[in-house]
Amino acid sequence: MDEQKLVEAAKNGDRKAMAELVKAFEKTVYNFAFKICRDPEKAENIMQETFLSLVKSLHQFDGKSKLSTWLYRIVANHCLMEARKRKYEFVSIDEENELYDKSYAAGWDSLPSNIIENNELKKILDSAIQKLSPDYRVVFLLRDIEGLSTEETGKITELSVPAVKSRLHRARAFLRNEINKAFEK
Amino acid sequence: MKIEKITCKDVMSHICESLGEDLDSPKCVEIKSHLDGCPDCTKYFKSIEKTIDFYKKYNVELPEEAHNKLIDLLGLDE
Repeated sequence: MDEQKLVEAAKNGDRKAMAELVKAFEKTVYNFAFKICRDPEKAENIMQETFLSLVKSLHQFDGKSKLSTWLYRIVANHCLMEARKRKYEFVSIDEENELYDKSYAAGWDSLPSNIIENNELKKILDSAIQKLSPDYRVVFLLRDIEGLSTEETGKITELSVPAVKSRLHRARAFLRNEINKAFEK
Repeated sequence: MKIEKITCKDVMSHICESLGEDLDSPKCVEIKSHLDGCPDCTKYFKSIEKTIDFYKKYNVELPEEAHNKLIDLLGLDE
């Protein structure tokens, strides 16, 4: 059954259709939640909250966007709420000049293609993205990692297209600089 | 009117802005031509691409237990 038919059936109380929808999207939701929180336990909680919201509010889904876009919005909102509650201190990336320094990625060309399997690199990636404010993190993840368009990212985050582009390029430059610093150590 | 030459900083900023965007725009054509003659900006461009690629490839498996708990919580078990 295609997505639209499953959604219609689930809206009409078909539990099998709802279970199919959950199975179809649980990995995407879990991975996206993990990529924002970088913590398996928090990712699992957010996945549960997201699907509870789905079950509760599916009747409000009008089908104008993809269901995945609707789910990304729920995950992002849960994660941003969590982060605001905790009031972490994140690195400010308001200063444009600091993003484009003169240290170029000299050694990156020689990195082996399977380097992502390296746990040391995973630690570097976790540490870099955790310094980034969740407002920037969500934009980077939706646009670059999940492959949503700038417009879709804007709708989910309630930002204008220029604001999405600005946050995206700052986030990319910030992460690249953090990784570069770690490689230089 | 004097046209100011594009600087490496302009290129770096625009690379970040334009990855995944319309690469045939006049500014992107100018950027591509700058990249051809600037090894430093080429390295920067590649490192931004690689940064995105690292995060794209860093995925986690949904644990079986988490799946079962979810289905149970939603009351969807068969």
